[in-house]
Amino acid sequence: MMMNYFRKMTGTTHSPIRVSLAEIIWSWLGGFLGISAVGYLDYKFLEGSDLVLIIGSFGASAVLIYGAIRSPLAQPRNLLGGHIISALIGVTSYKFLYPYIWLASAFAVATSIAVMHATKTLHPPGGATALIAVIGGQKIHNLGYLYTLVPVGMGACIMLIVALVVNNIPRTRQYPEFWF
Amino acid sequence: MPDKEPNKGTNFVPEIDLTEQDIYEAMKLIPGYLDITPYDCKEVYLVAYQQAVERLSREVTAKKIMTGKVTYVQTNTPLAEVAESMGRGGISGVPVLNQAGKVVGVISEKDFLSRMGVTEPMNFMSLVASCLKTKGCIALPIKQQKAEDLMSSPAVTVEEDATMKEIAEIFTSKNINRVVVTDAEGRLLGIVSRGDIIKAVLYRGKS
Repeated sequence: MMMNYFRKMTGTTHSPIRVSLAEIIWSWLGGFLGISAVGYLDYKFLEGSDLVLIIGSFGASAVLIYGAIRSPLAQPRNLLGGHIISALIGVTSYKFLYPYIWLASAFAVATSIAVMHATKTLHPPGGATALIAVIGGQKIHNLGYLYTLVPVGMGACIMLIVALVVNNIPRTRQYPEFWF
Repeated sequence: MPDKEPNKGTNFVPEIDLTEQDIYEAMKLIPGYLDITPYDCKEVYLVAYQQAVERLSREVTAKKIMTGKVTYVQTNTPLAEVAESMGRGGISGVPVLNQAGKVVGVISEKDFLSRMGVTEPMNFMSLVASCLKTKGCIALPIKQQKAEDLMSSPAVTVEEDATMKEIAEIFTSKNINRVVVTDAEGRLLGIVSRGDIIKAVLYRGKS
């Protein structure tokens, strides 16, 4: 039994295939345009304000919605649901547990995973969104629950629009696989 | 490496020798990054395949897979004619109908072999062997007989709505290769052979 436990750590299969060069280029383009959109809007309209439109977890979302567009984790339901649910959980965790940042962080991330699972919205960057709500600094904390709408909800929507536009241009790509 | 494939359901599920390499090659043909390992993909495929076979064995009925226009003989057909029509059609078994058109038995190659004195193992080479050891034709003793003298009776029959699963179970339990499909009055509608089932499993959806 013990042997079996350790044998499981050796893996069962080999890694998936490398994608084609065209796929790599389209993924790059999507990622570039998606992050440009939120980054430029943030710079153009929110620079100097209390608001912010770009957060670190969008970089992770970009990997999925421009680089692994067939993945269930990359679909609109997961992108929007995962980010917004996790943002709510993150802000709430901070509000109740802020004296213990380590605890608020762990609770926010773990609860986000659980609730995303339960709501079929699993989106890995959601974990980062929840964590940012706790450890993202004073500017994020000042937003309170607005954090779930701007930057999280709006940023995710902008990136989704870019994904819809870019991912459907090549003949071999189609996005999304499902909406909700 | 956990290589235990799920194997539940009927004993009629055909084995498929699907390797991870097959999956890998298939995944290469699909553009874009597939968020699944070849091993998981294979596992999903195998379970889905077994479920499909299970479902088909429940949904597909004798009516859908039977051979309709089958060669048959009458109870009073001389055996020479029976053998001739089996040979001409390249078939190894024919249903025997009485005057009223009802299926009363089946004649297979095995019935000929056993009546011609071939003992186990009952196959063509055993027949050749006994022929070579005998003066004259060993078919002579049955030359004057008719279909009804040789047939296995009663025939194993099913009705049109029998499922593939039920038929497969009859094949296995009775160790036979074909069942006659009849209507409620016992009139001949067709025959389902083992080959028909294999075709139904393999080619369904391609036609």
